[in-house]
Amino acid sequence: MTQKLFDIAGIGKERVHLAWVSSAEAQRFVEVVVNATESVKAMGKFDPKAFEYELAAVEMTLSGETLRWMVGKEVKITTKGDVYGRKWDVESFETILDAVLEREYQKNLIYKAVKEGHTCVRDIHDKIGLDLKRISYLLADLEKTNKVEFTGMKDRIPVFAVL
Amino acid sequence: MAEFEPKIVAFLCNWCAYAGADLAGVSRLQYPSSIRTVRVMCSGRVDPMFVLEAFKDGSDGVLVAG
Repeated sequence: MTQKLFDIAGIGKERVHLAWVSSAEAQRFVEVVVNATESVKAMGKFDPKAFEYELAAVEMTLSGETLRWMVGKEVKITTKGDVYGRKWDVESFETILDAVLEREYQKNLIYKAVKEGHTCVRDIHDKIGLDLKRISYLLADLEKTNKVEFTGMKDRIPVFAVL
Repeated sequence: MAEFEPKIVAFLCNWCAYAGADLAGVSRLQYPSSIRTVRVMCSGRVDPMFVLEAFKDGSDGVLVAG
């Protein structure tokens, strides 16, 4: 999931590796390390300052309630069933999780942009590159959860601020 | 200019991957030194936030092995 998020953020899932290595598999450990080193080398140096917004948004997404609840409830929902008694299969659940991941990430990116002073939709679009309609839609979501508020109009343009 | 040497933070589970790395060391197997190991008692201990902190502090890659 973290890999997928890094891909969405543009940092690249080649930078994050997960491998199972048993204590007797020394050769395999070497292979895993060489493989990881090669793919990270191919991606080049990582500059945290260039990805300041993305890292902040990833941090908020991973530590946020929504994601943590979904991941925590996955086992129960896919084995015993959800609150309506429907049992979900793992693929459908993972599809929904991916959609939520992307949405939460975009919302947090918008939140970070507004916090840093990009207070109208066009400004946010210029900074983070998301679709205008999508930004408006997700801003409404952020208003509902009281993270962002609509502070008024400036030259007939709506202006937002973080709460 | 010297070739780019990445810094990869590796979270290794004490019982499996760390022991595997130990065995690789004892058997004198060569592997790249760009790996900086962190021993954890179980790879399940590794929270996604650890991965993020590694990147924020300037690492180029993260490996979680269990």
